[in-house]
Amino acid sequence: MQHFWDKSLSWGTAGIFVAAAIGVLAVVIFFVTYAIYFERKFIGWMQYRKGPNRTGPLGLLQTVADVSKLLLKEDTIPKKADRGLFILAPALAFIPSFAVLAFIPYTLNLQFADLNVGFLYYIALSGITTIAIVVAGWASNNKYSLLGGMRSAAQMISYEVPLVMSVVGVVMMSGSLNLRDIVISQEGYFWHWNFLPQILGFGIFLIAAVSELNRTPFDLPEAESELVAGYHVEYSGFRFAFFMLTEYIYVYAIASLTTILFLGGWNSPIPALDFVPGLIWFFLKFAVIVFCLFWIRATFPRLRVDQLMGLAWKALLPLAILNIFLTAIGIEWIG
Amino acid sequence: MLNFNIDFTGEFVAFFLLSVCAIVGAVLAINFTKVVHTALSIALTFVALAGLYIVLEAEFIAFVQVLLYVGAITILMIFGIMMTKHDGEGTEPARPLLETLAAIGCLCLFGILFYAIRNANFPAQHAPFTDDNTREIGKLLFTQYAIPFELVSVLLTVAFIGSIALAKREVNTP
Repeated sequence: MQHFWDKSLSWGTAGIFVAAAIGVLAVVIFFVTYAIYFERKFIGWMQYRKGPNRTGPLGLLQTVADVSKLLLKEDTIPKKADRGLFILAPALAFIPSFAVLAFIPYTLNLQFADLNVGFLYYIALSGITTIAIVVAGWASNNKYSLLGGMRSAAQMISYEVPLVMSVVGVVMMSGSLNLRDIVISQEGYFWHWNFLPQILGFGIFLIAAVSELNRTPFDLPEAESELVAGYHVEYSGFRFAFFMLTEYIYVYAIASLTTILFLGGWNSPIPALDFVPGLIWFFLKFAVIVFCLFWIRATFPRLRVDQLMGLAWKALLPLAILNIFLTAIGIEWIG
Repeated sequence: MLNFNIDFTGEFVAFFLLSVCAIVGAVLAINFTKVVHTALSIALTFVALAGLYIVLEAEFIAFVQVLLYVGAITILMIFGIMMTKHDGEGTEPARPLLETLAAIGCLCLFGILFYAIRNANFPAQHAPFTDDNTREIGKLLFTQYAIPFELVSVLLTVAFIGSIALAKREVNTP
């Protein structure tokens, strides 16, 4: 995609950009549909249930049916809600989540925007989604949603810090913020991938990422037993669908980022397997990460709300800073 | 002084749209009566400024701007606003004399600024342009500007510790 940027903007190249954006949207919606299906299936199997199996063969059309139900539902806006912000919030949450996908390099040549700032782009845009979540909680004019929005904002701000700090080690080892250069620097056997030399950073990144996604050990913003549903209590129909879509797009983005930063992106585990296309390696690693997210969700209990902030500031952040020092010492001594 | 030679490139269109967004955000921030709306329109201004940085090809500053101003400061403001009560919000009585004087003052300020900017002589020489400006910023920070950088971090640490000390003392007093 990159060579289209350097050409001047004509109707042809603009058409290619629009077509590519629609293509990514289609891929993402397909991913979200089947991520939800497999999430329910996996959790079902882990809990000795069958999971969805009625709609379509093997229940494959379950999510399609759910989404069409959401789209056909009546769209309700509470009387005392702040109407403008209530309508704005889902869009404000979705737009940055989709824009985040522009910078992911799937293979050496398949990437939409080659940014020098790389990882910062993701963090910056996900901050805008946090605003949207707080605003959604506030605009609904509901105690539960306000509490959910507050918790979500506090959590996302706190865990952003160790998330960024844990990636600093990777950036130091590859000497670049650019995601493509980071993947290229991990070429070779699988022990050259960053997850082994950066095992501490990898662990911190995973914990902070799960927390950023508001998923189960850290799903306090939508803890059903305390808050009904969290910041989207009052939302229904397609506005609710937008929030769900946003959450799953961030799952997609985080899984891609983990693959790129720590698991060697499109590189094959041993050079002898190079004949398999890079896109397939990328997809396999990506699928493993997504599966791990489901696995964590099915097996971990939820954190208590008073332990949540302590974990980010007192455990993860010092460890992340320690990781930076260790990486610097390692680069200095081993080279 | 008043000749505007503008060629309509993509850069100009982007600059125009972004600056309109920034100004609209700032104006709305003054005009909204609900404080949350105000905070959101300030966020719009911040995002538009980040866009302007991208037009100037300073991606690093742009994303740090979004990260800090939109991601952290705006959310802190919204937090503070939500934690406090705002029952007394409403329209203030109009004060015509004061408003007229303020308008005249604003016009004068705009005139002075406009005159100064149109008369200013910008040197045509550019800094050597590199692709990887993040790396250049890092190099400058750790060589030429190392001491100011360290001083700023000391200042931030002092502010950090000071705020913790203030918050702690409040808890201890009965």
